Amino acid sequence: MAAEATCGAGAGSTGSLAAAVGMSNVTSFQRRGPRVGGADSGGPRLMSIAGTRPSVRNGQLLVSTGLPALDQLLGGGLAVGTVLLIEEDKYNTYSPLLFKYFLAEGIINGHTVLVASAKEDPAVILQELPAPLLDDSRKQELDEDIYNHKTPESNSKMKIAWRYQLLPKMEAGPVSSSRFGHYYDASKRIPQELIEASKWHGFFLPEKISSTLKEEPGSLTPGYIKLLQFIQNIIYEEGFDGSNPQKKQKNILRIGIQSLGSPLWGDDIFCTENCDNSHSLTKFLYILRGLLRTSLSVCIITMPTHLTQNKAVIARVTNLSDTVVGLESFIGSERETNPLYKDYHGLIHIRQIPRLNNLICDESDVKDLAFKLKRKLFTIEVRDFYVSYIKG
Amino acid sequence: MLNNNDNWRTWRKSEMLDSLLAFGGLVLLRDSVEWEGRSLLKALIKKSALCREQVHILGCEVSKEEFHEGFTSDINNCLVYHDLFRDPLNEKMGRPFLGGPLGALTAMCRRTDPGPVTIALDSLSWLLPHLPCTTLHQNLHALSHQNSSPGGSSSVQQVCVLGLLHEELHGPGPLGALSSLAQTEVIVGGTVGQASAYILCRRPQQRPTHQTNWFSILPDFSLDVQEGPPVESQPHPDPHTSLVDPMTHLTFNLRLSKKEREAKDSLTLPFQFSSEKQQALLCPGQGQATSHIFYEPDAYDEDQEDPDDDLDI
Repeated sequence: MAAEATCGAGAGSTGSLAAAVGMSNVTSFQRRGPRVGGADSGGPRLMSIAGTRPSVRNGQLLVSTGLPALDQLLGGGLAVGTVLLIEEDKYNTYSPLLFKYFLAEGIINGHTVLVASAKEDPAVILQELPAPLLDDSRKQELDEDIYNHKTPESNSKMKIAWRYQLLPKMEAGPVSSSRFGHYYDASKRIPQELIEASKWHGFFLPEKISSTLKEEPGSLTPGYIKLLQFIQNIIYEEGFDGSNPQKKQKNILRIGIQSLGSPLWGDDIFCTENCDNSHSLTKFLYILRGLLRTSLSVCIITMPTHLTQNKAVIARVTNLSDTVVGLESFIGSERETNPLYKDYHGLIHIRQIPRLNNLICDESDVKDLAFKLKRKLFTIEVRDFYVSYIKG
Repeated sequence: MLNNNDNWRTWRKSEMLDSLLAFGGLVLLRDSVEWEGRSLLKALIKKSALCREQVHILGCEVSKEEFHEGFTSDINNCLVYHDLFRDPLNEKMGRPFLGGPLGALTAMCRRTDPGPVTIALDSLSWLLPHLPCTTLHQNLHALSHQNSSPGGSSSVQQVCVLGLLHEELHGPGPLGALSSLAQTEVIVGGTVGQASAYILCRRPQQRPTHQTNWFSILPDFSLDVQEGPPVESQPHPDPHTSLVDPMTHLTFNLRLSKKEREAKDSLTLPFQFSSEKQQALLCPGQGQATSHIFYEPDAYDEDQEDPDDDLDI
């Protein structure tokens, strides 16, 4: 019955899928995609895993990043087996939020969560995850803000764009665990029982590295080696790579690595100009991607790329990751007081979207995106400062 | 009036130092050649010593005598001074080179004395070239996070690490990395004759806040907070903060006058079907200038041949 429930949610949301995928061409066509995992159709069966859905473009299995707005911008979601790299903003205020949304989405969907950090204890990170928004409060939140940039204001009768009045509004369905993307309340903590009911693994570097190991030049730093071994063990023991045939129920492993490349990980690529071991980070990413591609896992990595001016390093790291999103906050910059930017807290740059089994990628047409952290929600909008200036 | 002013300044003075010391963690004092930060460091040390906290000092750059200059003897008795200036290799203790500054730091890490403690590093600029960058970061992080008590014990250790850093000696990479490690960052600067401290506070889960305080350090290393620089030497306004008007170079008109707005509202749109429009469409030529089509056939159009003659029907 669980399969049917997910199938039902999948079929029912194809309408919103069509509206979500074609952001620039808003139509009222309802696309009927092939029913996946349909128990009654008798067609090819796909084991549907909770919290995943196939991409409408190429059938790639996608998971949600925890922010439905970001899912839309990335072409429906994050493909299983890929790496999402978040380039941290300067004061590391907003990237931990995206990190936590990703993990919270995993907890809600029942995925196994692996948190690795050199700075904070993973147990503490999990305590600070945001609480999921329930149905009624989410409707209120959505009504308050401009969710979709192309949705015209419905309170005034439209004179010129009168055809848009026939468009259905953004759906506000019930939030159940079979839904693909969830909304979170950033001001509340996740209930303790959800964390206890979930399966999670933590990797806290100061606990794992007690002695100073001799580091060979040209190889990975000890912290990275330990982390890779840890991830590999979890993947193998819990059967995410299909190695344990007794496990019938497949699940996704969500890996979160915080501030990779910072000196706390034992890597000096970002803090010295001519570091000796400049290939440790790139090797790590290469091996990690190999581990991910052969298992049902997704990884989010936050990296303080603002610390380095070395474009070669950033380019290599970008090439070795699949999806790259950069955050640029306005704190401390001259834009904070600029009236053009006063509505937003920063800019979000989609630097790279992967081409998986494809010649083209699902790049959205919109390049000018800004984010804002309201009291509860983290919203991403197209930067439209003329409109806000008129509103005053 | 004078009383009020004094009260306000006393409050401000104690507030600035208190806020720097209260939160704990790593406080990074960035100074430069023009505006030195050691006196601010000593003011903070004096404040902590007066609050009966334990104060450890790792002195690397100046001699012990020079550092103790200006402090009264009872304050000097509260300070625990680890002298690396005289003995950078720590030969007296018989430890190898790497154990010198590192050994001192890790020994401080492993203390188990309860109570609030302040550790002053004079200076981080000396430690950075002598230690591997990553080791320094990891040790600093372990030092400044000792207040997470292991095993759930009830005693909370409040550790405050004051690190002095000379900005010009380091590139943006190491500076940025240390800034991201710090919970509070104080950049000492100023204008003519008046020192200022730009304080940036990073608290977890919150947006960083910043403020600028104008201050001066008295000879006995107490802090005097001023209101601002003298009037004659106001800093010139930052060009970026001038109001940017986005309406200056637009090619379209965003503001309508009243007449224009009325005209716009009364306009009938082509897809709006009203009865007048219906009439106009059904009965053309009701006194309005209807359009005529003028056609002059071209010369070569006068072809008398009938193309259908070719068909063989």
